[in-house]
Amino acid sequence: SLRLAPSSKASSAGSASVLDTSNSYGLHDTMRFGMRQIASEVSSKHPLENRLAEWDNTQMELKMNMARNMYGMHAPIKMAMERNLVTKARGPSMLPQRSNLGLDILAGKDESIDFEDFLN
Amino acid sequence: MTSRLQQTKGGFNFDNHVRNTMMEGKGMGIPKATKTGTTIVGLIYKDGLVLGADTRATAGPIVADKNCEKIHYLAPNMYCCGAGTAADTEMTTALISSQLELHRLSTGRQARVVTAMTMLKQMLFKYQGQIGAALILGGVDINGPHLYTIYPHGSTDKLPYVTMGSGSLAAMSVFESRYKPDMSREEGIALVQDAIEAGIFNDLGSGSNVDVVVINSEKVEVLRNYARPNERGVKEASYKYQRGATEILKTSIRNLVDIKETVNIHTPEAMDIS
Repeated sequence: SLRLAPSSKASSAGSASVLDTSNSYGLHDTMRFGMRQIASEVSSKHPLENRLAEWDNTQMELKMNMARNMYGMHAPIKMAMERNLVTKARGPSMLPQRSNLGLDILAGKDESIDFEDFLN
Repeated sequence: MTSRLQQTKGGFNFDNHVRNTMMEGKGMGIPKATKTGTTIVGLIYKDGLVLGADTRATAGPIVADKNCEKIHYLAPNMYCCGAGTAADTEMTTALISSQLELHRLSTGRQARVVTAMTMLKQMLFKYQGQIGAALILGGVDINGPHLYTIYPHGSTDKLPYVTMGSGSLAAMSVFESRYKPDMSREEGIALVQDAIEAGIFNDLGSGSNVDVVVINSEKVEVLRNYARPNERGVKEASYKYQRGATEILKTSIRNLVDIKETVNIHTPEAMDIS
């Protein structure tokens, strides 16, 4: 439960879904990824792909588990409640947006910079 | 609206991994990244520390840059020498420099060298050594001078004198025989220069000039190209042919474009102010 780094094998290794290479219409995006090849979707992923994709979630889980062990059940519940407030409970007039400022502040990303901030 | 708004995350994109492995299987390798080959050194003297580096960047067997800068700025009190893949060291140090600035603005204090070391090692461990950056981090903070080495997989050492890069053994031999604690500034700079020159002359991956950075609690001196032991010799004779060395046998000029010049005399009209 106190996992420091994500595993290099994807939890759904050996299965591929259309959503991996989908474009905004939900189908396989031939322009970006070429003709659709099921074999390449199932095997041969870069060892870092899953590690980086799951990194933030794993760190969050680590914090939650440590807080539960140290402070009791209320601590991760409060943290989860704050996250829900900024992701799910949004005002009716708020437009759907890609970047969530509240979530960034809670995760501490407003005071740090990483590759995803300039390599995009 | 679209059926599925997938939030595209920034950062590294692994889409080409499958294509690259297929190409390597067929025999077409990846182009060689520019590495820094390198000899980089650092040592702590009485009042602070001295960092040194050579200035050659190689792309395989070819010298890509004869005078590159390997000592990167991280903070007003910290500099970082980088060995390994040139792009990785530059991007890593630039990113950590930005993170340190944000951290400094948030805490309101001068950054500590351990902070930069921790940020670097956590980032390099996250990328499992795929970011080929071997760094020597040196700086002076509230607790005095500190010198760290950081390896591409994320391990670190804290030592009074360090060398990294392909010329590290040549430089370390100089350090091991002549280092003593509490040296003066001049002795420190001379030792660093000798260590880098040992790397320059004995290692093919290092060459050209010596860069030195001296950091103490008051100021930082960046001595770019402190020593230039590999200056190109001046050519003794001129290889230019004099005018008239080749005899002109025939001249023919053909105008491709007909050039006509017409001059328009423009008399300015009187202003109409009615």
